[in-house]
Amino acid sequence: MATINRPWGGAGRGIPFPLPRVNGWVLASVLVLGLGAALPVLQNSIATSRGFDSQLMDARQAQLRSEIGLLEADVARLTALDRIEERATALGLGPADDPIYISVDEPGPAPANIPAEHLPGDVPSPDEPAPWWQSLVSRVPLPR
Amino acid sequence: MANQRVLGTRRIWLPGVVMGLLAAVIVARLVELQVIEHERYAQQAREELQGSSTELARRGAIVDRNGHAFATSVDTWDIYVNVQAWTDPDAADRAANELAPAIGRDPGELKHEVLESGLIDTIVARGVDYETGRDLIDEHPPGVIALPNTTRVHPEGDLAAGLIGIFGMDNVGLSGIEAGLNDELHGQPGQAIFERDTAGEPIPFGQYVATESIPGKDIVLTIDRYLQRLAEQTLAEAIERHEAAGGTVVMMEPDTGEVLAMANEPSLKFSNLNLLEPGQVELMRNPAVTDMYEPGSVMKVITAAAALDAGMINPDTTYTDTGSVDIYDVSIRNWDYRTYGEETMTGVLQHSINTASVFMADLLGADRFHSYLDAFGFSEPTGSELPGEASGFFRRPDDPGWSPVDLATQSFGQGINVTPLQMTSAFAATINGGKLLQSRFVKAHVNPNGEREDARPNVIGEPISEQTSATMRRMLEDVVHPDWHSVAEPQYYRAGGKSGTANIPVPGEEYDDAQVASYIGFAPVDDPKIVILVKLDDNADRLTGTQAAGPVFAELVDASLSYLNVPPDAAQYTEAR
Repeated sequence: MATINRPWGGAGRGIPFPLPRVNGWVLASVLVLGLGAALPVLQNSIATSRGFDSQLMDARQAQLRSEIGLLEADVARLTALDRIEERATALGLGPADDPIYISVDEPGPAPANIPAEHLPGDVPSPDEPAPWWQSLVSRVPLPR
Repeated sequence: MANQRVLGTRRIWLPGVVMGLLAAVIVARLVELQVIEHERYAQQAREELQGSSTELARRGAIVDRNGHAFATSVDTWDIYVNVQAWTDPDAADRAANELAPAIGRDPGELKHEVLESGLIDTIVARGVDYETGRDLIDEHPPGVIALPNTTRVHPEGDLAAGLIGIFGMDNVGLSGIEAGLNDELHGQPGQAIFERDTAGEPIPFGQYVATESIPGKDIVLTIDRYLQRLAEQTLAEAIERHEAAGGTVVMMEPDTGEVLAMANEPSLKFSNLNLLEPGQVELMRNPAVTDMYEPGSVMKVITAAAALDAGMINPDTTYTDTGSVDIYDVSIRNWDYRTYGEETMTGVLQHSINTASVFMADLLGADRFHSYLDAFGFSEPTGSELPGEASGFFRRPDDPGWSPVDLATQSFGQGINVTPLQMTSAFAATINGGKLLQSRFVKAHVNPNGEREDARPNVIGEPISEQTSATMRRMLEDVVHPDWHSVAEPQYYRAGGKSGTANIPVPGEEYDDAQVASYIGFAPVDDPKIVILVKLDDNADRLTGTQAAGPVFAELVDASLSYLNVPPDAAQYTEAR
């Protein structure tokens, strides 16, 4: 008799394996409950991940703010009076001798634009208070 | 049978009682721990588990009236080491070797310092620059904690250092604007509370409660950096030229009370700041607002303005000088011991005649003269934003030791103490239409969100009328531009002013040989844009106020008004072709 190399096949076929009969409602309930249980875990995981991202963004924002501060300080240092004088001297410039004043018929140049933050703000003019009797008159039904 | 039942019962209740007692003891102990002593143990647990750190707020910047920074803050790190993480010698060696080069220390010394400090968290470096700190955080050597902080930088170097001032490690101002406006500048610190492990390291995702720090406001000063530099350089040259012990220059806008420049010498220097050195703490004072001096003949301007305003004199009123005035047993002479004969009140100011000042004060009487001094602000601080401002002092008839000689000497500026800022402010009132304005160093506050709040000129009082003020301008113009050449005359502008040379009083004695030479004036005469006070302390060459401080005044008028684009009065114009 020839031996057929079917180590598992025979067993499966030989012993009947009864599939459990599952009610559809029960299965759906289990699925819903499982998803319901998984949802908080999922939410927690997402919140943790977002929190971590948020911390990274905060750190990045702080780093950028610091870099802005450093750059502003650098700009201030580079535009300091001593440095301007040093550069001017290096370029061969120096203080003027006696100035020559020229009278011209044209009006002078417009003043340089000053950044808005250095200009004084508008002073709001206080509204004239309404006379006390106006509120009384407004209640009287007068023909218009 | 009965015995067995009894014994059986005992076998049950005796252990039951014992067990019950043990349980009661345990329950009692639990109640003690959990209820009665709850707060103590909870506190102990919190101390072991929770760490906290305070993050100082970024200090606001201080900028000049055109937005150029005098002082600004950049982010840095303070480096701490938690000693619990360095109890393992290998870990300590490794961490010290990684940390030491970054903060410029020797690893062995660093390790020794941390282990011998006796503290849990030892600070090993302050103000470490931002990039180095970030690198350390990324490398994360064991036990090394980097906490954010800020460091002050001064882009203009030592310019206006005494005026700007300094603050301490606790972010509290110690001198100058840093102290006077500390509440606006320092902001609100933030705090972090976190859970930490046995090594003192924050547990990732452990409880973390943080309040964000709120940055301080930026301060826009009334100071102009160009004029400040001009004032400092000119003052330093004058001190050297006249071998003076020190000096002060104040520049003020007469119509607003805004201080455009304030220079003092000697003064604090950021580049040479060491408060442990003797004498450096003294430099934290701003003598232009904290120190009083006797102004000398400059005070004749106030005496003349008061007498004019009261209708006692006019510019052409004549006075015959005999060279001295006797009050009781005191003989008051002119500064140069000369006799001038008949002089108008303008001539009195031109020649600075002491006896005529006594004449004007006598016409007014002590009460009226002192009420004018009060109105000119000589009995209270000017109300500027700088700390420690002196209020001025002069003796009144009700004060102990008063004598009529006091009134006489006060009329020409001896026996009365004022600050340079008070004198500048009062002088501005004599020529700006008669309005005494609050002296101001702050033009605006800028909130962290960029919102700007502008300060407005504040009129404190009106000591003299507008007409008196106009008359004073003409009289003072004749002082600077007399019929003869005056060294105090600016080259390009018509100016008005008055000199003062006062001896320095010595406590317990009369007066020292030392003197204060000063000059105060304004320009242009028709529409004053600037008031300048120049004061030289104890000039060794003993030149008078006109001779020593007058040329400095003239130089400053020409340079500052040219910078402020004020058309010159006395220039040779060339027609444009």
